[in-house]
Amino acid sequence: MYGWTGNILRINLTNRTHKVEHFDEEFARKWVGGRGFALKILWDELKPGIDPLGPENKLIVAVGPIAGVPAPNTGKTVVAAKSPLTGGYGDGNLGTRVTEQMRKAGYDAIIIEGKSDSPIYLYIEDDKVEYLPADEIWGRGTYDTHNWLYKKYGKGAGVLSIGQGGENMNLYAMVRSLEGRAGGRPGIGAVMGSKKLKAIVIKGSKPIPVADPEGMRKLGLEDLRKVGEIDKKTGWSIQGTTGVLAWCNEVAALPVHNMRKTHHPEAWRIDGERLNNARVATYGCPNCTMRCGITILDREGRESELDYENIGMLGSNLDIFELDQVASLNYLCDDYGLDTISAGGTLAFYADAIEQGAIKGDFRFGDAEMAKKLLGMAARREGEVGNLLADGSLRMARQIGHNSEAYAMQVKGLEISAYNCKFIPGMALAFGTSPIGAHHKESWVITYELKQSQRDSYGPEKAAKVIELQRIRGGLFEFIVACRFPWIELGWELEHYAEYFNKTTGLNWTLDDFWKVADRIYALMKFFWVREFPFWDRTRDYPPMIWFDPKNADTEGPIAGKYLELDKYNQLLDYYYEQRGWDKRGIPTRKTAEALGLKQEADEVEKFTRLE
Amino acid sequence: MGSPEIKITVKLIGPFVNQIGFSEKVLSFPDGATVETVLSSLPLDPKRPKIVTRNGQAVASGEKLKDGDRLAISPIYSGG
Ligand code: SF4
Repeated sequence: MYGWTGNILRINLTNRTHKVEHFDEEFARKWVGGRGFALKILWDELKPGIDPLGPENKLIVAVGPIAGVPAPNTGKTVVAAKSPLTGGYGDGNLGTRVTEQMRKAGYDAIIIEGKSDSPIYLYIEDDKVEYLPADEIWGRGTYDTHNWLYKKYGKGAGVLSIGQGGENMNLYAMVRSLEGRAGGRPGIGAVMGSKKLKAIVIKGSKPIPVADPEGMRKLGLEDLRKVGEIDKKTGWSIQGTTGVLAWCNEVAALPVHNMRKTHHPEAWRIDGERLNNARVATYGCPNCTMRCGITILDREGRESELDYENIGMLGSNLDIFELDQVASLNYLCDDYGLDTISAGGTLAFYADAIEQGAIKGDFRFGDAEMAKKLLGMAARREGEVGNLLADGSLRMARQIGHNSEAYAMQVKGLEISAYNCKFIPGMALAFGTSPIGAHHKESWVITYELKQSQRDSYGPEKAAKVIELQRIRGGLFEFIVACRFPWIELGWELEHYAEYFNKTTGLNWTLDDFWKVADRIYALMKFFWVREFPFWDRTRDYPPMIWFDPKNADTEGPIAGKYLELDKYNQLLDYYYEQRGWDKRGIPTRKTAEALGLKQEADEVEKFTRLE
Repeated sequence: MGSPEIKITVKLIGPFVNQIGFSEKVLSFPDGATVETVLSSLPLDPKRPKIVTRNGQAVASGEKLKDGDRLAISPIYSGG
């Protein structure tokens, strides 16, 4: 078998033992890697209903067959677990040297189970696994932690760590690497913290098994060069992802004031142009020639690496239009190991709830200094407010009541990323059906909606587009594991990825083969949710109710008087379910499941609910 | 008296700012100017896919502009 090492490293933290297990080619072909491996392992091994922060939950680190191979943007790794934030399947990817080191150490996935009785970190070098005390780094931020570990093991080591957020089980704590920001929005860092696992360090010295090593190397290096050239020519990385901020502001899609507003006259102060002008450094993930980590100095003089989501959620959504203050909030999230999107969404919800009189508090929109304090309290779960904030906006809303859930801007418990869909039906559907809760990584249809379609259409073409993008973004890129940006931002064709996959594995797959795997993974992710929440219905695929409220419509600007219409959204959801072969509740039918090779899984889910 | 003119605020997005050399400017065009008139007056690569919005709404290139319109010209982003 080429492309895969065939090895999974299973580590038990309770009794500090480990063993290497093997998978066969059938498993590899069926689930490919990354998200596919993580999901299937969690599905097979987790009992439904377990406490996501208990020892029964498992943390999965998984790579894919082209991960770490020199080719455009293959430096990504997937981290996954049952999410403590949503209670469903949770994962995320991040750029890290772990990708290459893990493959060189000889593993395609690592399963971490049980719970240590004291803070530790793992040192993995090829076949060796060490369980080392983390006393010196426990309680410290991710920057200190990484630097401490790099000093010990060298800059080339792969390191994943958590900050105070993960340690204290803030429910949107992430896993951090210094090379590519962070990953695992639905609280994967909290799962790591619950196991008292501060960091994972990994080094490997074995060759990555590639079917055509010479051909792949030549092609991969050549393509890295070409992608770099296209980036230079198009100028994408001048502003990177932040270029979209000014555009969202033009078309009324910017999150402002807990998404109650869609544009703001001061948005230009935090846009990609200002960011680029303030740039002091640029960072990027391994194997990338279009590095997008634009770094500026924050108010306190620290380097902070920003992207669009960070600025949208910690800036405009909080009515903070001072770029260096946004950078400070971003730095703190990174250091505490908190998801910037959920942190921004949760703080905005808190300010909104105070404004609405649903809860008493001192925080106001626009108050960056107070926001800094609150982030620290949320990361450390300090006091009542810290604990409230650490649980994310949905739980907070359920605790404070007063119908505040309607403006807790989340789906399935995960905060909505920085696209305000007050009047963007297709993107609202993309958030609604995203399989880990509202995440933009699965499908992004705004430009399509505004250019090739009609913004106010709820037609089947929008559902089709969402599915098409989910197959590519939430499927292909999450299971071969590579960064999607060369394709989405530079138009680097998808066929290249089939070529890398085939040269690495020796197989002869076409894109259609990938789409089948993607559909299988999407169906099983839904089964995962249904097994956890057996009374599943379509309302769980709804965006927050405030988007359906005519009173929430903009009063001026491009979408004045417009809002999402619930009956039409339901129609759109029907189109989506029909095209996926799912029933009216949004659950894959038995026929669909079996056609995707999920008979056993369908039998299992039928113990919890009837399939159509 | 010259022919009547309309004033259009042109907003450039992302790398177009660096490529064209400004971020936002009010420019004059002859009455009857269309989206295409504005686009072709700027040194933009005509082959590069773009999304153009007029007062926040997507427009086709043949559409006629009115005095005071705001035209945003952006490369096609596909989302972070
Ligand atoms: S484009 Fe950005 S996110 Fe993607 S691999 Fe490069 S640096 Fe990482």
